[in-house]
Amino acid sequence: MQSDFDTSDCYTIEGKLALPYTYFAGRVGSRFITTLRDQHKIMGVRCDACDTVFVPPRQTCERCLGDLTDSWCEVGSRGRVVNFTVVRYPDRHLPRPVPYVLAMILLEGADTPIVHLLEGIPPEQVAVDMAVEAVFAETTTHTIRDIDHFKPCDA
Amino acid sequence: MTTYFGVDVADVIETMPSRFRKEAAAGISGRFGYDLGEAGRWRLAVRDGDAALAPAEDLDDCLAVVATDPQTFVGIQLGKIDATEAMALQKLTVAGDRGAFGSITRLFQKYLPPGEEALPDTELVVLKQTISVGQTFATGPVMGRFLKGLKQKKILAMRCPVCGRLQSPPREICAVCRVRNTEWVEVGPKGEMRMLEYVYYASPDPLTGETRETPYGAIGVLLDGCRDEEVFWHLLNPAQLDRVQMGSVIDGQVRHGSRLRPVWAENRTGSIDDIQYFELDD
Repeated sequence: MQSDFDTSDCYTIEGKLALPYTYFAGRVGSRFITTLRDQHKIMGVRCDACDTVFVPPRQTCERCLGDLTDSWCEVGSRGRVVNFTVVRYPDRHLPRPVPYVLAMILLEGADTPIVHLLEGIPPEQVAVDMAVEAVFAETTTHTIRDIDHFKPCDA
Repeated sequence: MTTYFGVDVADVIETMPSRFRKEAAAGISGRFGYDLGEAGRWRLAVRDGDAALAPAEDLDDCLAVVATDPQTFVGIQLGKIDATEAMALQKLTVAGDRGAFGSITRLFQKYLPPGEEALPDTELVVLKQTISVGQTFATGPVMGRFLKGLKQKKILAMRCPVCGRLQSPPREICAVCRVRNTEWVEVGPKGEMRMLEYVYYASPDPLTGETRETPYGAIGVLLDGCRDEEVFWHLLNPAQLDRVQMGSVIDGQVRHGSRLRPVWAENRTGSIDDIQYFELDD
């Protein structure tokens, strides 16, 4: 910008836009959440045609589009890390202060990994194939956060 | 067997030990009493991560005793009755260490009536939230001067040095010639209506999140001093939607639209809303 740029007419206008919204977990999502919340069980759905267990569960198989709404199965609350990232850029909307680890975890019996927080270990020591287990939240938010985080465990 | 909400209260009580969440009980110990009217009196002993439940007439040795009727007890377990409301209506009371009692209610998995384990829920998870988006708009020097003009009840435009085109609200660069606009010109404030849109679905105001009442009229006004398509976009007095005429230029034939004047806001802050709307100048 030129050093003689005249800013005498420049000013700022503040605004606040409120966006009320309603989130619906869906029928399949609701069952996943309420089972997690009330029984501390993690549920998936199984596509028999593709021999695949989806966690979190979904209504239709992503491959063959088969209807999975009545094909529920429980998966373990333990699993292994198949991938992870360390979040280092802070933002007030994030679930934890940085740095924190987000891991993709393949639970026992599942064919798709879920993403969740991994705590109880320095980020530098996290490795693929680590055994982890779920730690459930004390109070419910009616969301995936009813699992509070995963922590390392014995294989 | 007494049932409430289709559920046997004895089953709710007797399944308490099996629904006990050991992993959440670390550091919690003590005796807690349940005085459930016709459903009897029970003592829950929590220690070292274990819970034992037994009928007990005398609950004096308990840290806290909850007293309620069987229907309220079952209703709260099933989520059909709100515990806080029950307390306010004095259908449920807790004597002794309330905080300690509060800590043990979280130690039990939710009761599921027999046969409902297979289909644990028809409950649909619906979450309502309001996202609040704070924003800061910077006017820059050109928009800033235009908005200050509105504060003084003046409508300012900028003129392009190459094509002579007037633009209001103004831009730093002519949209046609791509050269820097140099001259400020006052236009209007009256003019004729050249465009009218009936708007039935209002978008939220980005500064407040509010939406206008619909239908409303979004208009393009050819202000005095402007020519051709140099219209100024604003709102029409909604009460006059059916009385206005749109002007037009077709094959060189000019048909003049309704003559309009701006209605200024009492309290002007240097915003486009310093003009409330345009209305018929009759």
